[in-house]
Amino acid sequence: MIFVVTAYHAEAKPIIEYFGLKKVLKNSRFEVFAGREIALVESGPGVIASACATSFLLTEYKARDKDIALNIGIAGAKNSNLRKGEAILCHKIIYNDTKRAFYPDIIVKHDMKEGVLETFNFPVVKEDFPLELMEGDIADMEGAGFFEAASFFLPPHGVHCIKVVSDYLERAVEPSFVSDIIGKNLPLIEGFMSSLETIHRFIPKGLSENEEEIIDKLAENLRLTFTMTHQLKNLMLFYLSKNESLPGELYDFLNIKANSKSEGKVYFERIKKLLC
Amino acid sequence: MKELKNCFARSFSHIYVEEGVEEAPLTKEILKKFPKAVKVRIKHYKDVFCRPRQNFFVQESSRKLIIAAKNWELLYRGPDVCHSFGNENFYYTSPALNCVYSCDYCYLKGMYPSANLVIFVNVEDFFKEIEDLIRQKPIYLSISYDTDLLALERIAPLCTTWIEFARWKEDLKLEIRTKSANYSAISSLAPACNVILAWTLSPDEVIKKYEKNAPPLDLRLKNIKRAIGDGWNVRLCFDPVLYFEKWEAAYENLISRTFSVIPADKVKDASIGVFRIPRDYLKRMRRNSPPSEIIHYPYTEREEVYTYDEKIKRELTEKVWSLLKKHIPEDKIFIL
Ligand code: SF4
Repeated sequence: MIFVVTAYHAEAKPIIEYFGLKKVLKNSRFEVFAGREIALVESGPGVIASACATSFLLTEYKARDKDIALNIGIAGAKNSNLRKGEAILCHKIIYNDTKRAFYPDIIVKHDMKEGVLETFNFPVVKEDFPLELMEGDIADMEGAGFFEAASFFLPPHGVHCIKVVSDYLERAVEPSFVSDIIGKNLPLIEGFMSSLETIHRFIPKGLSENEEEIIDKLAENLRLTFTMTHQLKNLMLFYLSKNESLPGELYDFLNIKANSKSEGKVYFERIKKLLC
Repeated sequence: MKELKNCFARSFSHIYVEEGVEEAPLTKEILKKFPKAVKVRIKHYKDVFCRPRQNFFVQESSRKLIIAAKNWELLYRGPDVCHSFGNENFYYTSPALNCVYSCDYCYLKGMYPSANLVIFVNVEDFFKEIEDLIRQKPIYLSISYDTDLLALERIAPLCTTWIEFARWKEDLKLEIRTKSANYSAISSLAPACNVILAWTLSPDEVIKKYEKNAPPLDLRLKNIKRAIGDGWNVRLCFDPVLYFEKWEAAYENLISRTFSVIPADKVKDASIGVFRIPRDYLKRMRRNSPPSEIIHYPYTEREEVYTYDEKIKRELTEKVWSLLKKHIPEDKIFIL
């Protein structure tokens, strides 16, 4: 699953349209839109709001290691070497308030520019803020909150901030312009998503859901201890390293119910022999 | 769906440089070799290296480089699971963390939270600590345990630097362990009598199946031959010896091929060690690993170390030892 967090509806709108997401009618504090593989939440502005919405979405959809979380939105650039409308994949995210920095793993090839994002608790306007105090290339008000929250759930190669340059730290920008520049970058962002998904599809797997179920059932029926269950899992993986699938005889044990722990132990020893 | 290989960014696409080492000569030398890499400034190497929930297996396909300084614990006492080769004051140090090879059985996968490579550029601090120590006693120091330093030589010439540091220091004996075929990176140096180049050798079957990215046996042997020819002390490490189908034939073949290339009388010594790994490392490796004959083998635990049961361990050791002693005097064979 790909989770997208935006601050404003103007940022979400082109994404909702591009991926054909539908509003999720649920009584929640946040607006959520979802399709088969993508779920998007609009957090509202600010670090805390972004962190809350991210945690909400990832909890609601039971995020797993192989999922991806993206914070997509606009940001103001410090220098004009970054073009307006250009998407920046952030390789470092600094929370201005604490100076804490976060580092996503840029594992896949992509066609975006890269830069450092600095997240502020206030809108940065160059007339009011000495830019030499800004360490990042671009400024926003959500990235660090999103990143820290998403990192509780996902590995660092699955959490990214993609920011489209909307201005040079001037006053507010028009919502229609925001939607337009984000929309234009979506093919690029989609390519990035697809590369991450490909990698996740190939991440070495442990046991399948079905095999995990077999372990649970055997553990229950044969009254296996925690250690024995653990050993069983390991033995199954060992067996699968040399064979395509589990031995047919193992399935016979699924119909057995041990009346005592010692009886279970006897069956366990037989299973061990089978898998070694 | 895109092809997997085309998806990964190339290794070292990003180089993280710790604050304070940007101007170090070694940092500059390393960065020069990666002009296209994205440089990211970091406060401390652990901010990147120790992030939670990193996936070692994913990172292995697109390793990043971290350049940093190490400021404490520069030297460690040699661990019990490693050979001291009869040396009394056995230490090891880690000028780099992680390796460019990806052996399935490598304990680094269980020891470190990240597959990214760290190179410590404050070599002088390491040297100072060693100089202080050898003023008190002679030491035997292994410098390539948690990495393969010679494999990294073209990125960071640390072997060269360490060899030159050790040269003429009577109270320092250095071991550089490697699987690499990168001897040419140090072949212009005059051999140092207190430096041992220690090559790990495995049967071809093991290399192909379990030592991803590491050079094939032939290349390792050619490198060893050159190093011996140039006058270096060379150690042969048959470690880890693994148990698998037809292991006996594989090790017979390995030893006969080894000594068909290498003059046995010129080998300084050899070691044999069956696969062993600290319990906690293996547990961590098992958590993320796909089904693996090595990682998921039902080992026996002894003093918090997983290894084969006594019978298999004895069989493996005795077999390799009996093969080896046909070429090398028994007193030059070290068994763990
Ligand atoms: S060569 Fe050594 S350090 Fe490198 S991966 Fe293999 S076992 Fe680990």
